Amino acid sequence: MNLGRYIAQKTVWYLVALVAAVGLNFLLPRLVPGNPVDVIVSNLSRGGSVTSEQQKEVYESYVQEFGLDQTLWQQFFTYLGKVFTGDLGTSFAYYPASVNELVGQALPWSIAVQLPAILIGWVLGNIIGAIAAFRGGNWDRSVFTTSLFLSAMPYYCLSIILLYVLAVVTGIFPVGGAYSLGLTPEFSISFLWDALSYYWLPFLSLVVVFIGGQAVGMRSMAIYELGGDYVNYARAMGIGDNKITQYIFRNAMLPQITGLALAIGTLVGGALITELVFSYPGVGTLLFNAIAANDYPVIQAITLIITVAVLLANFGVEIVYGIVDPRIRAAKSGEK
Amino acid sequence: MSTEGMKPSTSAPGILARARDIRCVYGGGEEDFTAVDGVSIELGEGQILGLAGESGCGKTTLGNALAMIATPPLYVLSGSLEIDGETIDLSTLSTADLKRHQPYRGRTVSMLPQGAMNSISPTLRISSLVRDVMRAHDPKITKDESLDLARDRLKMLEMPVRVLDSYAHQLSGGMKQRMITVISTLQNPRLLIADEPTSALDVSSQRMLVEMLLAMVEQRIMSGIVFVTHDLPVLSQVSDKLAIMNAGSIVESGPTRQLVENAQHPYTRTLLSSVLDPSQETRRRGLARRSAAQATTTTAEESATTTEEVGKP
Repeated sequence: MNLGRYIAQKTVWYLVALVAAVGLNFLLPRLVPGNPVDVIVSNLSRGGSVTSEQQKEVYESYVQEFGLDQTLWQQFFTYLGKVFTGDLGTSFAYYPASVNELVGQALPWSIAVQLPAILIGWVLGNIIGAIAAFRGGNWDRSVFTTSLFLSAMPYYCLSIILLYVLAVVTGIFPVGGAYSLGLTPEFSISFLWDALSYYWLPFLSLVVVFIGGQAVGMRSMAIYELGGDYVNYARAMGIGDNKITQYIFRNAMLPQITGLALAIGTLVGGALITELVFSYPGVGTLLFNAIAANDYPVIQAITLIITVAVLLANFGVEIVYGIVDPRIRAAKSGEK
Repeated sequence: MSTEGMKPSTSAPGILARARDIRCVYGGGEEDFTAVDGVSIELGEGQILGLAGESGCGKTTLGNALAMIATPPLYVLSGSLEIDGETIDLSTLSTADLKRHQPYRGRTVSMLPQGAMNSISPTLRISSLVRDVMRAHDPKITKDESLDLARDRLKMLEMPVRVLDSYAHQLSGGMKQRMITVISTLQNPRLLIADEPTSALDVSSQRMLVEMLLAMVEQRIMSGIVFVTHDLPVLSQVSDKLAIMNAGSIVESGPTRQLVENAQHPYTRTLLSSVLDPSQETRRRGLARRSAAQATTTTAEESATTTEEVGKP
């Protein structure tokens, strides 16, 4: 078995996918009818105080600034050069703020609320699902019903219910935002303590749904594996339940790893609905505002980050799969 | 497959195991299906008991009850196994019974399963399974000690030692089945329940496996085998005793030669007469029957055509 060859093969394929994704990411916004600069200029001239001369000057200045006077190929290579140097451009809506700056401000909030929710939800969901499958009976029935209900519930529904019950009615948590008015984000105990009180509601609304989804998936996989010949054989050899559970868990977790990786991959895109409901200043909120304002550089930057993150997550999945399941490693590296 | 002359010599053996009044049901509710209905069997030291019958007659269920691995929806309502001077209550009505039987499984009674192809977890190396099987009965045994034992056993059976480093998907069907046989007998079980071990194998692999099992009995790696199969030709050549099952009961049992040559029960006679005989004589008879049938069909068709032509205006 050749793990090195397997990883090398995967790396090449993912680089090809990355180039294709970057190309599409550049091309798609430009296929949308209309010129974003027209929108900006027309917004500027709404008050009626801007003359047509001034409009023309502003227009040309923006066109030059955003490189829209170049051919598509020139724009593409300029874009590529900027992307590889980490320059995501300038925002239309918040001109002259750079996209790097805007995404850099929003990303930590999205990661802070989603990464713990995904990891805790994944671990708890899988453990609960596995226990339900092993124990069976009433335990299984109640866990399955609850998990199915939670996983089927839209994020925004749970968000609104939690917001109403825990913030509006009981007042346990603040209604919205990420920190109290008047504070400036900084790494200090007082600020983190304040932010923590705003953190719980979006965190809970994400983690509860995620636990449900993972528990349902793990339960189904574990029940399937429980009936496997290798389980009966291990039992016939006198191997204890704990060891058999390890066998089952290892085989049942393979699809779950995919779910985890994809969730981590997409987390950089922010939890759009949750962030909007709780007015959380994450990437989801930034993306929503950018779409509303036709802020293409921001939309393009966020979709690029999501694409790269999903590709990286999938690449991670492939590597983990290769390590966990020798059959996949053998098949993908061309071993006979 | 011919296994003539492979049967180990046994002379007046003492009793190895005696199973009494085994009753098994599927379901556990009001609409239970009785799969094994009060079966008792007896096996001498060094003997092979062949358990035969058509599909669905309860052979595998009886094997599972003897191997103490019955899990819902299969329930063993009653039954006992006397072995090594101990009487084990075989009834399995809850998970507590499964735990109670755990010390006996793999060591007192071991299992060579029907689905050997999938009996090893796909993400587990053979060596890891060997270690886990050994540790199940001896928690203090080290990894090296377990593997040394397995290597010695493989060398003794003239099998390649490198298979220990393999995963199940890297082995052929025959090798996988033989490897499972080695693992099933690592603890030198007193009794081995071999459930259709040759069914999925080609004839040469069948022969290798049967030879291996017989060698193991001769070398006293295990003291007896209950060989469950519907393959009567194999059983008639390797087993010392035969028991014929039908609808959950044993309808006839006795020494193999006596039962094959002088079956008393109508079901046994029907079962024995159903075995395909590859001899020239049988082939000739079969071909003659087919030719006669074809000739009859052709004559009938010709006669029908003539009648139609005669009836035309």
